[in-house]
Amino acid sequence: MRRRGLLVLLLPGLALLLAGFLVPALIMVLAPPGTTTAEVFSRLVRMLGDPYDLTIIARTVGLGLVVTVTCVVLGFPIAYLLARSQSRWAGVLLAVAIFPLLLSNVVRTFGWLVVLGSEGAIGQTLVALGIVDEAPQLLYTPLAIVLGLVQLFLPLAVVSCYSALAQVDANLDEAARGLGAGRARTFWTIVVPLSWPGVVVAATLVFAGSVTAYTTPYLLGGSRQRMLSTQLFQYSSSTIDWAAASATAVIMTVLVFGVAALSTVMGRRSRTS
Amino acid sequence: MNTRRPVAASLAVLGYIVMIAPLIFVVITAFTAGSTVRFPPDGFSFRWFEAAVTYEPFMSALLSSLQLAVVASAGSLALGVPVALAIHRGRIPGKGLLEGLFLSPLIVPELVVGLALYQQFMIGLGLNNLTTLVIGHTVLMFPYAVRVTGASLALIDPAVEDAARGLGASPMRTFVTITLPLLRPGIFSAALLSFVTSFNNVPLSLLLQSRDFRTLPVTMLDYVQQNYDPIVASTSVLILVGTVLIAVVAERTVGFAKIFGGINR
Repeated sequence: MRRRGLLVLLLPGLALLLAGFLVPALIMVLAPPGTTTAEVFSRLVRMLGDPYDLTIIARTVGLGLVVTVTCVVLGFPIAYLLARSQSRWAGVLLAVAIFPLLLSNVVRTFGWLVVLGSEGAIGQTLVALGIVDEAPQLLYTPLAIVLGLVQLFLPLAVVSCYSALAQVDANLDEAARGLGAGRARTFWTIVVPLSWPGVVVAATLVFAGSVTAYTTPYLLGGSRQRMLSTQLFQYSSSTIDWAAASATAVIMTVLVFGVAALSTVMGRRSRTS
Repeated sequence: MNTRRPVAASLAVLGYIVMIAPLIFVVITAFTAGSTVRFPPDGFSFRWFEAAVTYEPFMSALLSSLQLAVVASAGSLALGVPVALAIHRGRIPGKGLLEGLFLSPLIVPELVVGLALYQQFMIGLGLNNLTTLVIGHTVLMFPYAVRVTGASLALIDPAVEDAARGLGASPMRTFVTITLPLLRPGIFSAALLSFVTSFNNVPLSLLLQSRDFRTLPVTMLDYVQQNYDPIVASTSVLILVGTVLIAVVAERTVGFAKIFGGINR
């Protein structure tokens, strides 16, 4: 392909990417409306020393970690059983696990309001069984956010683990067991190490998704359980504090890039060892 | 249930319950005859479905969301497929970097992108929210266009294209008669992923809403915050049914798992 042809193919897309994404994102950090770069960075430093802001950061990272571990612990077995199953139901079950990725987060999260709300399924069942007199407060708790985020990101964990496990030859399991290894030993010495890159990808996607999700913490955490995302929206829509909004955006972005970099390192290490 | 692996099977069952159970409760609630979201529901009726399809704010938002998703998907394909072609067929330095650049909208938090566009385009340049939404969604859908069509482009043997050109076809004709037909499943996957992602998007659209043009998910989110009646449940069931139809079409045409494998790798 000649050079001019290549430019014709590349330039329009590149122009929109720069004008509609990279440049605005840079300006947002360096010169938000009415403030200065220095203001954003001094705000950033202040946030990292402020107990209230630190609580929000810690909650975001902490819940993100809990969600990530839960999604891997529940998602890997699903992927493993589906990848090793000969049943024709495996395909259907895989589709059922992936399908929610197409479905609106608002719809998926709304389900938890129906389940966890004070007039909801869990509360009313407990009352009907006489276990409690009054439905317990389940909404606007960290538990509600974790449940909502696990539901949101479990399909992603299943897909990533499944695509890694599908590439691990099932004959290797048989060989290990034929050589006298037990089921558990085969699992930990053969299946897990060989599918490790998929687990790393799953964990990265789930963590990055959890610490930046908006819909779920907004609906299930409310103003009682603020996360970085809901706080960022608060700064930019009600209090209109651009420096604080930009500083929060920087923290979120650094978190996501940090975990992406970490996962690249972990993925590389697993390949060389 | 797999009885030979009790631990794995129990965890898997628990996982499916967390993924699916809330949706079942939404469906049950949508058919209530009562006026609140309560469990167990008060009787059975279709009244909330009737209410949903006649509720003007949701229906006009649905139309807005559909329009935005179609325009943004078409835009990202129109600009992204040529980029995928240049990356996979052209001899250019820094291919990896270029591909990474077009995937970067997947990594930067969407709410951050939304904030940037709100500040620079709507406040700074005074663009209206529709224009800003189209630009934002198009950029956000680039990863699907570049990655998914790129992956299927990588599977097409360049020798076929060389043969066509060797027989005298112009580059344009080669693309239209040889490459494009072979690329069709990839383009279909990318279009489907972008459409669904754009239609469902909340974080990017949140700050960019206006009274004249609001998307459905953002409108529903606002509604839930102020009212708590079963109209959201019945609207959710309608979205659920639409999404199942899309999933069935995706399964019949390209294969479901394949579509999602494309963006993960």
